[in-house]
Amino acid sequence: MKVNKINLKLLSVLFVISYLVFNSCTSISVFSPEAYKQAVDLKVESIELMSFATSPYDDYEEDVTHLKTELTKAFEFSKGRPDNEISARQWEILIDEKGNLLGGFLKRWETEDTLSEMFVTEMQTLVSDAFDTIIGLESGKIDPSELK
Amino acid sequence: MPKFNDFVMTVKNDLLDFAKENLDEYKDEILKDGNAFIDKAKNDLTRWTDGLAAGALSKTDFEFLLKGKKDLAEMEALKQLGLSKIRITKITNGIIDVVIGSAIKTFL
Repeated sequence: MKVNKINLKLLSVLFVISYLVFNSCTSISVFSPEAYKQAVDLKVESIELMSFATSPYDDYEEDVTHLKTELTKAFEFSKGRPDNEISARQWEILIDEKGNLLGGFLKRWETEDTLSEMFVTEMQTLVSDAFDTIIGLESGKIDPSELK
Repeated sequence: MPKFNDFVMTVKNDLLDFAKENLDEYKDEILKDGNAFIDKAKNDLTRWTDGLAAGALSKTDFEFLLKGKKDLAEMEALKQLGLSKIRITKITNGIIDVVIGSAIKTFL
């Protein structure tokens, strides 16, 4: 009788544990090496291309178009991952043409043809920091192997 | 056979140790990130104001940078939100380990 009572309590504990495990696994996506690499590569490419924004836009139009495509791919990849809304929102802010980070910068370059040196340098720092928030969050995510 | 109350006591003590170790670490991390962002924002603003006064930045550039900083702050906040969720997951996993460890200590 006493043993049955203990078993019942143990069962309750196991139920609570199962509940916690289920909830903890569904809150945020796990680490993706592909997403991490994508963000690091695009950070380097973006900062590099931004440095040419003191020159006429037409000379770099193809490069900008290519970069925009890669950025859209990264955003779509992020959006398609389960439980990844936070990272997807970060990408959305970064590439928004109406915003004031990379998307807005590239749009302004296109509209104004050339941009001032100090503005370009300062924007490179902001965009670099913006990429770091994406990279920092991704690298902080739990490796799937840790959940097994 | 050990009593269930022994198990509860063991869990309580183990959880207290676990919480002390983890919460201090996370508190320091959050404060460090927050202060670094504020310090950087102050330095940026000083440099941009100087640039505006010297004519190296136009009024449009200055406004764009300020709004960019606001967008960056939102991205940083999202990062912190995500990291908090990860911490909760890690703490939950830690609690599970503590409960299982206490159960093994008490019943086996």
